[in-house]
Amino acid sequence: MAEHTFAGMTCSEVADQAPAFVLGILTPAESDAVRRHLAECPELHAEMAELNSVVPVLFAAAEPVAPPASLKDRIMAAASADLAARREAAAAAPAAQPSPPAAPPRAADTQRPAWDLGALFRRPVWAGLAAVALVAALALGAWNVQLRDQVAGLEAYRTGVVRVLDEAAKPGAQLAVLAGPTAAGPTGLAAVAADGSVAIVMRDLAPTTGTQVYEAWLIAGKQAPVPIGGFAVGGSGSAAFVTAHASLGDGVVVALTLEPKEGAKAPTMPIIALGAAHAQAS
Amino acid sequence: MSDPEIAARGTARSDADRTDRAWMDRLAGGDLGALDLLYEQYGAMAFSIAYRITGDRSAAEDVVQDAFLGAWRNAGRYAGARGSVRTWLLSIVHHRAIDAIRRRRPTVELPDSETILPDTLTLPDAWGDVELRLDREAVQVALTRISHVQREAIELAYFGGLTQTEIAERTGVPLGTVKGRLRLGLQGMRAALLPLDGGRGGGGG
Repeated sequence: MAEHTFAGMTCSEVADQAPAFVLGILTPAESDAVRRHLAECPELHAEMAELNSVVPVLFAAAEPVAPPASLKDRIMAAASADLAARREAAAAAPAAQPSPPAAPPRAADTQRPAWDLGALFRRPVWAGLAAVALVAALALGAWNVQLRDQVAGLEAYRTGVVRVLDEAAKPGAQLAVLAGPTAAGPTGLAAVAADGSVAIVMRDLAPTTGTQVYEAWLIAGKQAPVPIGGFAVGGSGSAAFVTAHASLGDGVVVALTLEPKEGAKAPTMPIIALGAAHAQAS
Repeated sequence: MSDPEIAARGTARSDADRTDRAWMDRLAGGDLGALDLLYEQYGAMAFSIAYRITGDRSAAEDVVQDAFLGAWRNAGRYAGARGSVRTWLLSIVHHRAIDAIRRRRPTVELPDSETILPDTLTLPDAWGDVELRLDREAVQVALTRISHVQREAIELAYFGGLTQTEIAERTGVPLGTVKGRLRLGLQGMRAALLPLDGGRGGGGG
């Protein structure tokens, strides 16, 4: 084989590194040099291809391990969000198209000294950059509109969680983790204090409309559920509130339903989320 | 999990190419159904590879999510890469999993986080159809046909993400010996796998 040097590597050196290259364990700089050498040097392709052909087969050597069911939901949700952002950015971008810039003055037409840096900023390239920046700002604006509600909701939720956990840490208090029947449904926490007052924080609730309210219930043993308070939910999907109620004792279940209006005496099925309250080990 | 490539052994590679290309076109066009299908087909295998490399369920989940979102966002670049969707996707998983464990070992030069496609996918086009496609049993058999030390070197590299120097230190042999074991191991596996693959992986020979 004729010896060539491309990208600072001889053919022998590339051949020497070939197994590590196809196995993906060279440093980025090393593998970049190998790749650039290969682009110029077809003589090594056959050997490299031979070694490389085994590599995808190694995938099948991994012991099968089942992923959690929630992983697919996470991926699909992230892709949906990505798609929505892409569409909003695409919708925003055409509005940012600038009118065509005026033709630049030719260098020969204007007598400017070479050191006139200001000239750089009077040339259309500047207008082009400004347009790019504007498109980016609008795309970010679209993101922001979408994210603002989510961020506000997350902040409210975080504040609520801290408050609930503080309540749950007090003597005699119990904590309930609230969840719906599906993994994608609303989740939250409730702290039932020794005096019976309940602090609840929820997220991922569907926004209420009209007179609708979410009603919280305490269920002790086989007794009828006791309504302890209702609340409306906005676009953020988060809610936090504290309600007073006489203590029902240990082992109480906290449940949440969606009611057509305030003041429900019995829960409207289905239950949106529920959880049993337990004293926290200190 | 069914693997259409294994099921389709013996069908013309060009058919698989067309199917894969159509699949990637749907992904590039923002078709969530195509992503759903991609996950149904390869999600479990992707997770197995990520778990084998990271040894941690939570890290493996993050790797798989990153890889599928990477595929989702970069499906348009698949057109320039040869090889099946399966290899393309699982290479991304491998690349990101190695990236994840190397970040835990700060002495190693980190891969460029902006690099989305693994090295093997940006190679010259001449290598398109030399890919061997076999099931796990065949691979296990092939791994028993090479020597223990060759297998160890390949596994430390491929699933451990160790550099050649690190493998030399770990196994207490000179660097040149590690290079030889990796090469002979890969060649030995290929020799064991080729008859099983009906010669289709012969690179035209």
